[in-house]
Amino acid sequence: MNRRFSYFGKKLFQYTLVLFVAISINFGLPRLAPGDPLLYFFDESTIKELTGAQKQEVLDSVGLGGTLWEQYIQYLKGIFTWDFGTSIKYAQPVTEVIADKLLWTVTLILPALLLSAVIGVIIGAYSAWNRGRKRDIGFLTMMLTFQAVPGFWIGMLFIAIFAVQLGWFPTYGAVSIVQDGTTWGFIKDVAWHLVLPIATLSIATVGSNYLLTRSSMLESLGQDYMTMAEAKGVTKKTLIFNHGLRNALLPIYTQFTMSLGTLIGGSVVVETVFSYPGIGRLLYESVVARDFPMMQGVFLMITFGVIAANIFADLTYPLIDPRAKSSAVHKGGQ
Amino acid sequence: MRKSTKFIGLTGVVMFSIVALFAIFGPLFIPYDAYKQAGASFQPPSASHWLGTNDMGQDILAELAVGARTSLFIGIMTAILATLIGGIVGVLSGYIGGRFEQLMMRIIDVVLTLPYLPLMIVVAVYMGPGVFTQIFVITLVMWAGKARQIRAQTLSIKSAGPVLAAKTMGASDFYIFKKHILPGVFPLFIPQFVGAVNASILMESSLSFLGMGDPTMKSWGSILYYANSRSGFLTDAWIWWIIPPGICIVLVVLAFSFMGYYLEEKVNPRLSAYTAAQKRVKQQITVNEELVAQNIALAVRDLSVKYPKNGKFTTVVSDVRFDVKQGEVLGIVGESGSGKTTVASAIIQQLRSPAHVPHGAIYFEGRDLQLFSDEEIREVRGQQIGYIAQAAMNALNPVVSVEKQLKEALLAHQTLSTKEIDERIDEALIQVGLEPKWRYAFSHELSGGMRQRVIIAMALINKPRFVIADEPTTGLDVMVQVEIIQLLRKLQRELNLSMIFISHDLPAVLSITDRLIIMKYGHIVDEGPSKALAKTSTHPYTRRLIDAIPLLQPRKEEVRDVVH
Repeated sequence: MNRRFSYFGKKLFQYTLVLFVAISINFGLPRLAPGDPLLYFFDESTIKELTGAQKQEVLDSVGLGGTLWEQYIQYLKGIFTWDFGTSIKYAQPVTEVIADKLLWTVTLILPALLLSAVIGVIIGAYSAWNRGRKRDIGFLTMMLTFQAVPGFWIGMLFIAIFAVQLGWFPTYGAVSIVQDGTTWGFIKDVAWHLVLPIATLSIATVGSNYLLTRSSMLESLGQDYMTMAEAKGVTKKTLIFNHGLRNALLPIYTQFTMSLGTLIGGSVVVETVFSYPGIGRLLYESVVARDFPMMQGVFLMITFGVIAANIFADLTYPLIDPRAKSSAVHKGGQ
Repeated sequence: MRKSTKFIGLTGVVMFSIVALFAIFGPLFIPYDAYKQAGASFQPPSASHWLGTNDMGQDILAELAVGARTSLFIGIMTAILATLIGGIVGVLSGYIGGRFEQLMMRIIDVVLTLPYLPLMIVVAVYMGPGVFTQIFVITLVMWAGKARQIRAQTLSIKSAGPVLAAKTMGASDFYIFKKHILPGVFPLFIPQFVGAVNASILMESSLSFLGMGDPTMKSWGSILYYANSRSGFLTDAWIWWIIPPGICIVLVVLAFSFMGYYLEEKVNPRLSAYTAAQKRVKQQITVNEELVAQNIALAVRDLSVKYPKNGKFTTVVSDVRFDVKQGEVLGIVGESGSGKTTVASAIIQQLRSPAHVPHGAIYFEGRDLQLFSDEEIREVRGQQIGYIAQAAMNALNPVVSVEKQLKEALLAHQTLSTKEIDERIDEALIQVGLEPKWRYAFSHELSGGMRQRVIIAMALINKPRFVIADEPTTGLDVMVQVEIIQLLRKLQRELNLSMIFISHDLPAVLSITDRLIIMKYGHIVDEGPSKALAKTSTHPYTRRLIDAIPLLQPRKEEVRDVVH
């Protein structure tokens, strides 16, 4: 119990540190960057026309007025009151814009991640079970190739082939401009728009799921409990799933839950290629539009996402690994 | 090393060489300047423009060649920096340890937790697009992973035998660092570096694609950035404008993946001994009536097992021949490496390739087990021949409860109701001296002796007539060893089991077996009834084994030795 507690304590410390670093990067970068900070908001001719008071007003409004220490306190206060500033491009609070886009990103990422994990795990386990055979080498080569393909390039090829040439899917966006007004129609429309982005994201991530499963499974297959289980005469299915894969799943599960957060960031390129209205594209657009409060807000939100995913992974891990929780038998007394 | 691994490595080298030659010589031979208009825009591939032109009329082949230089330069520079920084941090924190290590590990954790792509973007935006920015941000997110892995490798070298020996002999820290740690760790930098090139080329292409590339230099990623932002895929030009740069990226990244796979297997070979089993097909089996008539449960005839080693075959079991009668307990004794466990694996058909059985037969109740199909041998395992593995390490699955492991053993051979299963599990546990409540336990909640009892319960739950116990007492406390031997003896008598008992512990074997085989270097060197063998064997090896048993009273010979 105590050991477990200190493990969580350590993790909690780490996440707090990550958050602190992310906040400090956000705070520090604009202030460290060379040149007049006003250049981030206006071009040079506009700045010349501004009066000193106006300049100060702008600086104050974006939290660049006062001493560094005052600015820092003000910045922290903002974050803890869920105020990330105002987007220059959208002229709306950053948090509101993010909230609008978040659902879109989740509808894209979750199915893609599940698909890629399921396929990666199945083929990875199959490949490991057939280690050294032609089909193992074949899948290994295929998956290494998938891993070598940049996600945005797959997206571009998919658009060129399946959207432009064949016309099966839309070239961009998450919904059609014209709707038939029914809920069912809307769902179908969204799903239709999701096919290519999900396929792209799945292909781009399936390789690492496969490789992790294959090596984890190989490790598990070489263990003594496999020999013992086989000697009991259990069927091949039981051997592969209840023993081999059951043990191999532990590192896979951890990676899967943790990647839930990372992928929000990783979807930037895919969302950009497909002009998909999610968090990733929001980040890209805010970079292009030099909308700095927006960009920083997205970065911080993604960091929150990563930390949340990590905590989720830590908390749920004992569900699949009995060694990570206290014993039911021992509680009853020996 | 496997042939296929070598082939994959070689393919990687060839692929990389092609791209490298293209990057070095391409710009010298292609008659167009990649940055200037070379013809009309959107020209399809032709004799003068092999890969056609883009929207600005620039020759795409020339762009690719120049882009190859940029992409490879950024990829390799970043990989060198990341491996070097990661290497230094990793080696130092692994070697120095203490607070320094703690601090470094916390920093590494933080860097690895931060979402890397958004982090690169945010930092790159403030630094402004450019080659230096790209190298900086990719290194920034990549060094930490390298540092963590190299630290782990440093730690394992630090605790290895030679270093501990040198320390004991009073070698200075600097000497150990120079003579042991660095030469040990350095070869590991190479696969790390190769893996880094691969990742950084992909990251570079993503960053360039998002417009963070140097606007004055072409890279594969930036070619695609322009193709995308000018909607290249809406025209037919996508075939020669979008496909080639992508193929270049895939080619280079794959080349490094292949080389990395080869190096990884070479420097750090997978410890897993697993290889796929050969498929066994059903065939006609004739029953050896003679053996059945003599009541011989198991007859091993001229069994040899070979393993390939350095291109030749090493014989690990050689012409072994023995019988086990119904109800008889046969002991197989020998040192580690004498081939006794290989014999056991051969009997239940668990030899893994590359093991090879050149000749020999294993008759179980008159039928040669080697001719059994996969399904037939599965039915024999656990149901007719029970196998008791040594529990020293992990013969029990650590994440599956005792109950479930017993249950699946039952259901592998019988169809039972839930209630019957419950009763059988309780019965099996009580039979081996465990309270039924332990069915809910997992392996890590049991002591070594209890684990061994569970394994015995698992082996006997289907009431097999024949049992193979492979070193069932290894790794247990002496008192527990005695208990387990007593338990096995009791069960053997009660259930009238035929049994093979394998051990290097002669006293244990003598107390439970009827007959004994002594094995050495894969041969049977001596055999006979246990009691007779212990008293009268004249074989020097058997004598040595028996004389090595410590006794409370001195042996007569030893007294005589003193007199001499």
